Amino acid sequence: MDDPRLTDDEVVTSVLGGRRQDFEVLVRRYSSRIVHFVARMTGDNDEARSIAQDVFLKIFVNLPYYRRENNFSAFIFRIARNMTLNWLKRRKRTVFFSRLLGHELDRLPPSQDPPSLSPMEQGEREQALTRQLRRLPVEQRLALVLKVYLEFSYKQIADVTGWSVPKIETLISRAKARLKKGIRLQESGNEPVVEAREK
Amino acid sequence: MNCRKIVRRLSAFQDGELASSLERQIEMHLRECAACSRELAEMNRLRERLLRLPPPAADPYFPGRVMALLPGRPAAAQRLLRAAAWAALFIAVFLGGFLLKTSAGATDADGRHPAATFSSVLLEPQAFGLLAVHDDSLDLFNGGGHEQE
Repeated sequence: MDDPRLTDDEVVTSVLGGRRQDFEVLVRRYSSRIVHFVARMTGDNDEARSIAQDVFLKIFVNLPYYRRENNFSAFIFRIARNMTLNWLKRRKRTVFFSRLLGHELDRLPPSQDPPSLSPMEQGEREQALTRQLRRLPVEQRLALVLKVYLEFSYKQIADVTGWSVPKIETLISRAKARLKKGIRLQESGNEPVVEAREK
Repeated sequence: MNCRKIVRRLSAFQDGELASSLERQIEMHLRECAACSRELAEMNRLRERLLRLPPPAADPYFPGRVMALLPGRPAAAQRLLRAAAWAALFIAVFLGGFLLKTSAGATDADGRHPAATFSSVLLEPQAFGLLAVHDDSLDLFNGGGHEQE
């Protein structure tokens, strides 16, 4: 079904030409990366799938506005970034109001796929690291996730975010330093509890 | 380069984002500096731990679900259709208004008021001036005429 010889732009042309079923080729090419990206940003795999689904619907609707310059990846990750950041803002508001009402929604552990095969300790360490990632300021997390998990170059991250390359270098460097510090604290049993500001 | 400057660029060095000349300088420094080497080793351990986090499990039904939820057509086509619908509505209202205005003040040859509403115009075409002209021209076309004969 997915002919690897076809470039993304050729598939887009085909979809816009009326073969909407070809959109599935793009979904299959990018879905795991988009879900992975959103999951690392939100720390919630179930939400990530739901957001990723909306991302693809938005991509389809906005397909006519894509300028075919063989940079489809930047186009869809821009949409994924915007929708994820909107979700994070909404969640922040929800957490704020839930705190006002005396609930603690943000303290609930993020829903994860069951780590059935990994030993308990390994699972705990993974969860702790996921928490550390979630505590990073949003801009640092975004840059780091795109670099580490999507293997984007700084230039590609700049295409997605609109930031300058020096800014991206600084954000990633700070994210790494912050994570190292968090891990050190966690291993010494002094893991910080408060979430970082979402900026 | 001193350690402070090196440490500041170490993350970009790890990511392979530096120019080759700067990369060589840092490599040379790392060979001699234990503290900076430890910093880089710690950064490498962090990256390994991050990469060990399992990705979300693949969902084989995901593409099918997305395809089932797709709207009819991409936005440009939807917009075009919406614009065409508005244009059609505008033309209909304009024509309706024009026909009403034309028929409201006019009287036919017998001094009767022609139809006052758009629907009655359609029902009584003989009372409508434009159609009457059309009938005359048809007569002329068919060889008939008023005064020529």
